[in-house]
Amino acid sequence: MAADKQTKLLAKQLFKLSLVNGVVSPEQVTGVLGWVEKYAHRRPVALLKAYHHRIALELAKSRAEVEHAGPISDATLKQIEAAMTKRYARPVTATARPNAKLLAGLRVRVGSDIYESSVASQLATLSV
Amino acid sequence: MLTLLLATVESAPAAESGPIAGLKQTFEHFGVEPKLILFQLISFLILFGVLYKFGIKPTVATMEERNAKIAAGLKHAEETQARLAAAQSESAAIIKAAQLDAQKAIDEARKAAKEFGDKQQAEAITRAADLLTKAQQSIELEHKKMLNEARSEIARLVVKTTEQVLAKKLSDADRASYNEAATKELSAL
Repeated sequence: MAADKQTKLLAKQLFKLSLVNGVVSPEQVTGVLGWVEKYAHRRPVALLKAYHHRIALELAKSRAEVEHAGPISDATLKQIEAAMTKRYARPVTATARPNAKLLAGLRVRVGSDIYESSVASQLATLSV
Repeated sequence: MLTLLLATVESAPAAESGPIAGLKQTFEHFGVEPKLILFQLISFLILFGVLYKFGIKPTVATMEERNAKIAAGLKHAEETQARLAAAQSESAAIIKAAQLDAQKAIDEARKAAKEFGDKQQAEAITRAADLLTKAQQSIELEHKKMLNEARSEIARLVVKTTEQVLAKKLSDADRASYNEAATKELSAL
């Protein structure tokens, strides 16, 4: 069921309440969920879906998924975290995920942004 | 006759002398009487008058009338001939004018046909040239498309082969080194 305009507006307000200094706070999220559970909304499922979507997007902006082929050191992850934190002006946590299709190199995904420097991407550029 | 007349003159008695007396005697000898001659002359004149009034005059009038008719006929014939000649001249002029008009129409038709044919030929040449140009362009496009497809396929095969080779040949050390370079590159963005 798609959320109506009032439900989206309420989800947006709840999302703003969930941030502390621009960062999603687990305590605030717990409080928001308790409020939603206590004061039943006329369309609770749609409200929770819209709220979850906003929280997921925000968390994705604070998380850098680093796909790599071959070994990658903690120092490298820290270096990437520092670079993304500086770029997005918010704390960004890097998590590593092996991907042999890259052959060699990295692919960093922050939210909907992707940064890639890999052998596979360079070969793909050559094949176009 | 003359011999007989001379003999009579010579043999007649010379009662009176002279040629007139002789001629008189001769007339008397042959029975010529002046009275009879006079009566015959009068009768002749009367007969002539009657013949002239009832024979010659009507005949002459009829002849004059016929002559007039003949002259009128000849004149009419001449006029008819003149009209015929004029009509022939007029018809000849009309025929000549008609021939000129017909020739002019034929010339115009030939000219129009020639222009139409030239125009059709020019259009056909233009269409043929357009078709040729389009066909050449189509061939060129098809050639380029084929080359691009071949190039893409060759590149795809090369990349696929390279990927397979790199996947087998790259060591962990190579990958680690490449990862460090990639980290530096991404950090510098």
